Amino acid sequence: MSKPLTATVSTPEQTKPRASDPDGFFRQFRKQLPFQIFVLLGIGFLLVFSYTPLFGILMAFKDYRITMGIQGIFTSSWVGLAYFREMVQDYNFPTLVRNTIELSLLKLVFSFPVPVLLAVMLNEVRRSAVKRFVQTASYLPHFISWVVVSGIATALFSADSGLVNDLLMSLHLIKKPLEVLTDPDSFMSLAVVSAVWKETGWWTIIFLAAIAGIDPQLYEAAAMDGAGRLKRIWHITLPGMKSAIVVMLILAIGNILGGGLAGSNFEQAVLFGNPLNSDKSQILQSYAFNVGLAQGRFAFATAIDLVQSAIALVLMLSANSAAKRFSGSGLY
Amino acid sequence: MYGRKTTEDRIVDGVNYTLLGMIAFLTLYPFYYVLIASFNLGEDTAKGGLYLLPRAFTLSNYTFFFKDPKWIDAFGVTALRTVVGTALSVLFTSLVAYGLAKPDLVLRKLYFLLVVVAMNVSGGLIAYYVVLRGIGLLNTFGVYVIPTMLNLFFLMIAISFFRDIPSDLAESARIDGAGETFIFLKIVLPVSLPLLATMALFLGSGQWNSWLDSAYFVQDQSLRTLAYRMMEVVNQTMIGSDSQAAQFTSKLGVTQFSVQVTAMVISVFPIMCVYPFLQKHFVQGMMLGSVKG
Repeated sequence: MSKPLTATVSTPEQTKPRASDPDGFFRQFRKQLPFQIFVLLGIGFLLVFSYTPLFGILMAFKDYRITMGIQGIFTSSWVGLAYFREMVQDYNFPTLVRNTIELSLLKLVFSFPVPVLLAVMLNEVRRSAVKRFVQTASYLPHFISWVVVSGIATALFSADSGLVNDLLMSLHLIKKPLEVLTDPDSFMSLAVVSAVWKETGWWTIIFLAAIAGIDPQLYEAAAMDGAGRLKRIWHITLPGMKSAIVVMLILAIGNILGGGLAGSNFEQAVLFGNPLNSDKSQILQSYAFNVGLAQGRFAFATAIDLVQSAIALVLMLSANSAAKRFSGSGLY
Repeated sequence: MYGRKTTEDRIVDGVNYTLLGMIAFLTLYPFYYVLIASFNLGEDTAKGGLYLLPRAFTLSNYTFFFKDPKWIDAFGVTALRTVVGTALSVLFTSLVAYGLAKPDLVLRKLYFLLVVVAMNVSGGLIAYYVVLRGIGLLNTFGVYVIPTMLNLFFLMIAISFFRDIPSDLAESARIDGAGETFIFLKIVLPVSLPLLATMALFLGSGQWNSWLDSAYFVQDQSLRTLAYRMMEVVNQTMIGSDSQAAQFTSKLGVTQFSVQVTAMVISVFPIMCVYPFLQKHFVQGMMLGSVKG
């Protein structure tokens, strides 16, 4: 990239700029008034529902009580880092941090490769009816809410009426029902498996699109040279998906605390969490919600929220710049 | 395609088809099981061994569901919020997008900056709650349909859609003296039906599935949504509390579990109905979404 040697000053076409309105700003604005009104309605909406909550972050540093209303965010007295100190000293804190990280990492590690594999497998299917059927079935769960998924989980795994326990018991493979839904030790597996079940098919679409972009001549040439199916997958299909894989991985890491590509961590923690498995199922987000809304400690909860969004923001920004560097410099 | 089948081809195909068959089964069977359980007598399901077909066929679970005021209310509220909420967000989002799509809009850089920041940064749910409380939306029907009116993801998609519409139509209407609101409603929206349909399907299924706002922003029992009621029952089933099961069994052979699966079928049913249409549109939408990051 080289800069142009001569700097040209572009003059906007305007007729007779007035002294009070040198750029013709107000005249232009008035000319587009209907459009401006449409947009300003939207901006007003954002100010109320996005930007006012942003100022709510101040609560984390203030002696705020809910009875003070919105203006209390600004008028309440400062307490500095008191809530952050309280949070770090909270006996739950190490567990919460560990659970949050464990859930995020496990979901990334297990749920990311599956759509890649499924896309490769679907690509190997020559009968388009079979391919379409499996693909359509696989992304169906994406459109079902997490509530229904948790309902399905109880239908399959609950200790007294679950299908899986019922089947295993009648085959005499187990003596007493598996407590999948209430045992803290099985919470992470439950979250990971349900995430894979729900979101795999959806992300397969992206990887299939990447495969569709591969030049079919490559396959023909490889077949001519005697490369078998597995060799063609390894040397053509997977390298052809490389940039899609990298980009999606960066996006997933950027949003890892939210749940990456594998559904919301918060919803999973709330819906699969219960008093019996809370040692493992409580994460920072769900704890902030409980403390804030159930116990009414709004300022403290905001502090927890803030720590978690700060980490998330740093992750997202670094993932974004990694994505830019990656797509900017190119692969080849 | 690549000549005759080799042994490797046969093995790869065999393994591949077997695995794909298992994946399809594992994805679809849970839905099927929930469906047959909803048509089976609750007391009978509790005995176990129900795998393939309803054993004691009955409609009593559905009769129970549609007679229980708690479930009817939830169903009504959810249907209403889906219709009203979807209409509001489709209209409002496309109106704002139409304004932003004007090429030489004054201050457009500032507007886009505000949108992009709002897209990526949030004050957290607690601060959001405080704002909802401050403007009096808590515990009202409005909390379901007003904060969702502007969808920033679809705002971006709608802007690029409107930019591609040829401007001749709107231009000639303008010469005839039509106002911008008229042009938007009578000219721009009618030629944007594919966009509006996609938005309606996605935002509509989001409204229908929503439970979080009902759980945290509403206390009035008559305002609870279907997904929220389902969550309540699922929670009880999850920890194995049978407190309500006894009172259920006295009538119709219905159990807590059989009502739960019935509610699940009823809540999945509309999604299944629009699924073929959703499918047609979502690939493109998802591509845009992932590029946006």
